[in-house]
Amino acid sequence: MSLREELEDFYADYSEVIDSGALERWPELFVEPCLYRIVSKENHDKGLPLSLMLCESLGMLKDRAHASKELNVYAPRAWRHSITQIRGREDAGSISAQANFVVFETLPDQHTRILCAGRYLDTLVRTPAGLRLREKICVYDAALIPGSIVMPL
Amino acid sequence: MNARAWPAEGDARVPYWIYTDEAIYRREIERIFEGPTWSYVALECELPKPGDWKRSWIGEKSVLVVRGEDGVIRGFLNRCAHRGVQLCQEMSGHVRQFRCPYHQWTYDLDGRLMGMPFRHGVKGVGGMPAEFEFAQHGLTPIRIAARCGAVFGSLSAQTPELEDYFGEKMLAFYDRVFDGRELRLLGYSRQRLAANWKLILENIKDTCHASLLHVFFVTFGLFRVDNPSKVRMDETGLHTALISERGRQELNEGTRQMHSFRQQLALQDPRLLDTVREFPGDATVIMHTFWPNLILQQQSNTLATRQIVPRGPQAFDLHWTFFGYASDDEEMTRRRLRQANLMGPGGLVSIDDGEIIERAQHGFAAAADAVSINEMGGREYADCDHMVTDVALRAFYRGYRNVMGL
Repeated sequence: MSLREELEDFYADYSEVIDSGALERWPELFVEPCLYRIVSKENHDKGLPLSLMLCESLGMLKDRAHASKELNVYAPRAWRHSITQIRGREDAGSISAQANFVVFETLPDQHTRILCAGRYLDTLVRTPAGLRLREKICVYDAALIPGSIVMPL
Repeated sequence: MNARAWPAEGDARVPYWIYTDEAIYRREIERIFEGPTWSYVALECELPKPGDWKRSWIGEKSVLVVRGEDGVIRGFLNRCAHRGVQLCQEMSGHVRQFRCPYHQWTYDLDGRLMGMPFRHGVKGVGGMPAEFEFAQHGLTPIRIAARCGAVFGSLSAQTPELEDYFGEKMLAFYDRVFDGRELRLLGYSRQRLAANWKLILENIKDTCHASLLHVFFVTFGLFRVDNPSKVRMDETGLHTALISERGRQELNEGTRQMHSFRQQLALQDPRLLDTVREFPGDATVIMHTFWPNLILQQQSNTLATRQIVPRGPQAFDLHWTFFGYASDDEEMTRRRLRQANLMGPGGLVSIDDGEIIERAQHGFAAAADAVSINEMGGREYADCDHMVTDVALRAFYRGYRNVMGL
């Protein structure tokens, strides 16, 4: 299997975990130490450090997943990731990967809309369980988020 | 609109037509955002050098905030004086002069028209009339006032000086955060919410909801009615400060009534709430609303301005600018960035707010004459030393009705 095929499989699993609502499995796709960020293209381009979501450990990923699944109050919705243009390069035991993502969001009484589009800038490692994320930076393009981002991208 | 009258019960009732009616919205733009008010437009640290500019808003109007060669911050409508083309489309930048791409009219940092191609014609033909006066055709200036790091703009010549506009009482709260220390910009978050702009101000003035809606506030005691708290308002009722202290994750008379209290909830990584006291006094959170477009957030160690841009009666944009102080050490900056997880379009607390006000807007649809009830704490308007009250909402709507003539 080529690296690209391996990455495609990984991103398919990744999107399924979120889109199916199995957020409690989301932290399992990372390895400690890890970093997860959602950051606007604006902050990213200007070198500003603020994230829209920031998790600096598996514990923080679990706290966020729990909050998204159980604690936050938001309208019921469907999410659908589309992850494309996947590229990766393996170097000394770690894989740098990039991909485009689009998240479609469907809210009650409304047409499906695009929540946001952007790029994943990821670092993955090989583990006995398969590829896992060491670092995931989701850089979204939107100048304005429509509503809120209620789950991890 | 004229057929509609405010409910007889007064300021403790708010009719839903003020959140949906197009004519009310136009009146708000005219009397409030383009009237004698100061709108927040920038932080000075966004424009450190001469020639730095940012795009901002007063009401619906796009404005440019610019630091001139003399270091003074000025403001202009973001519109070429020639054909109305929006001059800047990026969010910020650095220039020596502004040039409209359409016909290349060029302005200096003070907004003066400096030149245009073909002014004297080409090969002896065409050109602008000799009497065309450059001095009359600069960018449209707006009034700007800056105080200790934050910058405000006004479209009205009648607006009082900034200090008089906020008043001594509210300035004391303002000065607690903007205390003269240089600020450090941490970044932006921006969102559009499908709700009336007043709902986000209400959200901050509505002290009770924080103890009920938000599991994170309730459980970890960040903002809860059983903690020592105060509501402070200016005499117009439009500017408000809600002051509170962090409490404990304990079952008591207050938390027992909060369905969102989770006694067993523990963070897997408690660094999120590794808060330190950094301001004088006992308050660990002060949420300020400065009429008409600024929410100033000091929740533990997360500081942000939230700028409101109205987009019709049923939508507004919320621009969050997170900041710290230039003197912060690396640990404090990390703490601020971590606690920023609570706030913004993906905030563990703010998600609930954005969602609930959109849900309120859904409730208003086709129910123009139904009303909200703001009677917690009676029908008083006075400052009070607890948060089990809607007093800041009543005072707000009393002030709003005065401004709007409703």
